[in-house]
Amino acid sequence: MSARTAWPVLIARSLAQLPSPLGLLPLIAALIAWQLLAPPNSPYFPPPSSWWTGIAQSAASGALWRAGAASLQTIVFGLLLATAAGVTLGILIGVSPRLARAMGPLLEFCRAMPPPAIVPLAILFLGYDERMKLTIVVISAMWPILLNTASAAQRVHPILLDVATAFRLTLLQRIRLIVFPSVMPSVLLGVRIALPLCIVLTLLVEILTSIEGVGALMIAAQRNYQSGQVYGLLVLVGLFGFLINTGFSIVQTIILRRWPPRNIQA
Amino acid sequence: MAEPIFECRSASVALAFGGQARPIVSDIGLSVHEAEFLSIVGPSGTGKTTLLRMLGGLLRPTSGEIRMRGEVLTGPPDGVVIVFQDYGNALLQWRTVAANVAFGIERHLPRKECDERVAAVLELVGLSKRASDYPWQLSGGMQQRVQIARALALRPAVLLMDEPFAALDAMTKAGLQDELLRLRDQTGTSFVFITHDIEEAVYLGDRVAVLKGSPGRIDNIVDITLPSPRDQVTTRQLPEFLAYRYDLHQAIGHG
Amino acid sequence: MAETARGRLNWTGLGVFALVLLVWEAAVRSGLIAFEFFPPPSRILLGIVALTRDGVMLQDLLHTLGSIAAGWSIAMLIGVAIGVLLGFSPTARRFGLASVEVLRPMPGIAFAPVGLLLFGFSLQTELVVTVLPTIWPVMVNTMGGIANVHPRLGDVGRTLRLSNTEIVRHLLLPAALPSIIVGARISLGLALVMAIVAEIVGNPAGLGYGIVREQQAMNPEYMFAYIAVVGILGIALNAGVVALTTALWPATSRVTL
Repeated sequence: MSARTAWPVLIARSLAQLPSPLGLLPLIAALIAWQLLAPPNSPYFPPPSSWWTGIAQSAASGALWRAGAASLQTIVFGLLLATAAGVTLGILIGVSPRLARAMGPLLEFCRAMPPPAIVPLAILFLGYDERMKLTIVVISAMWPILLNTASAAQRVHPILLDVATAFRLTLLQRIRLIVFPSVMPSVLLGVRIALPLCIVLTLLVEILTSIEGVGALMIAAQRNYQSGQVYGLLVLVGLFGFLINTGFSIVQTIILRRWPPRNIQA
Repeated sequence: MAEPIFECRSASVALAFGGQARPIVSDIGLSVHEAEFLSIVGPSGTGKTTLLRMLGGLLRPTSGEIRMRGEVLTGPPDGVVIVFQDYGNALLQWRTVAANVAFGIERHLPRKECDERVAAVLELVGLSKRASDYPWQLSGGMQQRVQIARALALRPAVLLMDEPFAALDAMTKAGLQDELLRLRDQTGTSFVFITHDIEEAVYLGDRVAVLKGSPGRIDNIVDITLPSPRDQVTTRQLPEFLAYRYDLHQAIGHG
Repeated sequence: MAETARGRLNWTGLGVFALVLLVWEAAVRSGLIAFEFFPPPSRILLGIVALTRDGVMLQDLLHTLGSIAAGWSIAMLIGVAIGVLLGFSPTARRFGLASVEVLRPMPGIAFAPVGLLLFGFSLQTELVVTVLPTIWPVMVNTMGGIANVHPRLGDVGRTLRLSNTEIVRHLLLPAALPSIIVGARISLGLALVMAIVAEIVGNPAGLGYGIVREQQAMNPEYMFAYIAVVGILGIALNAGVVALTTALWPATSRVTL
């Protein structure tokens, strides 16, 4: 892949890497069978056509848009903050072996803590609000970014650090001009793992606490036995995840066009 | 004889291994004059890289001192630049060729002057056409030329080279050797060139220092009086060339 | 980065950990942090002891462990089976991969309402929520592992007159094993997370429910006790898989996440 390739070509190439659309056939066949076989008013397996009505109702009342906006906001801010925190801590730990040793067990314990377990804790301290939702998303989604950044920062080649010294870079210049670009591919890899985590965690907190968002909308639909809407929202959420993953891999390809190709798959 | 511009007086380096200080190079005395090409030849394990890192100010000598134009070094000095052996790691892979060459000067020069100087050194090493490519898109020989250009952009008085051609094939290596001599003539830069290849050391050098033993010591410095300009075919066939080669082999102890 | 280097204990790190606990203890006891829901570590430890003596903790731990074991095993079976099929057969990839790729990014948690709809508050809901998201890492790693096996190995099988099943069993699966183990490890971690989620929203039992129960009963030290046990369980499970795979297949022990 050439570094001079124009963006549209890069986008087209990333899209060409998606699997053949023929592969959607089993899914489509299953949905058609479901539509034909399911009783129209089934409370458990409502036919796909009723999923659409469920969603349309929710959209007409405005609830869907409000919930979508709230969830999207948490996901976006959560990802940004998790990236900032993960990269900063990761670089600090990566460049200082002493800090890595000192913080090791503590970080290991925090990382092993399943995010749902800290939800009740966060509720106690922060109460039921947007801040609490964001805190949980950031704390839990930051780990893959932190770990990827730290291990890449530890692997920056000693020769490159010699180059920095030979050119008499200050510590800040060293981090900005040498370490940060070196870890960039790994940071993006970490963000790619953190992205679906942000979505999951946002929904999780909304389902657990009923704070406004798509998760809360789903659990409310389930409580009211609006089964069509439950399935419809599930499909929407899945579609959203798929689009955002594909979108991010395009962004990744574009950013990494300057780096040697082997780093992209890493 | 004129004052040397770069000088190393009975300098030693010891590095810590498992809590113990182990001497790597010991009692090194060297001097480099303006526009001189000094080769240092030595087998592996004699501390060639340590010596070069010390000369470049990346390692402080445990005893002795290094002077640049009479000033004792305390860190990487102005006017001395290192070219590393593994260009793959020494270049910033995410910067274009031009941006790599600008790396040493971009923080100290105005934009316009920086661009001009980058264009000039790229012209000098014959890479003008690849200025906007990335290092990983170039061959090994071209990447090493980028590193040389990056060093030259700083207009150094002394260029320190650590086995710069060890990873390259014979043809590329020969081409780059002649290019170095041409650059020396055009820019008046002095070279300290470390290698394990005796023929390369003789072909390039005005003098060849032999590094030997563990810890490494300078065993012998040979003046090379071969006609200039040197030529890959005829110079290497001269009886004097073969005699130097024989003597240095003897000195290193390969018989 | 946090593992101890070559079996030596990381005393500095453990010291920092202990220091954090001490500062926490001192801050709460001296009234520096005056917060009614924030017990010092010593009270949390006493909470764990009390709950253990009571038998509740063990019962909850066993329930969660059981769900994880069941959910993880089912996910492994499904994941390896689909992964082998997709990795081995280009036709299956052509006519199935896109379906998988569309379903995969579906957040596992989003199946909780569906599980509740179908099974109410029950163990089945817990299993649905645990199994579905846990399948993907195993499946993707199995598929990748098999698809990346050098084609020569298939040729070797054919020239030795092995049947397709034998090729999969004796050549492809062993060659893909390191990759499958990585997937299994990720899945196990996920199974724990999803079991806790399910116990909080869908099945009132186990450690997850313990956290919520004690939170609602306003027993912060018991709540923290459950959280601590969940964290320790996470570390123990991961260490267990690493130890187990190292013992069973020493050749794959270098595989890390």
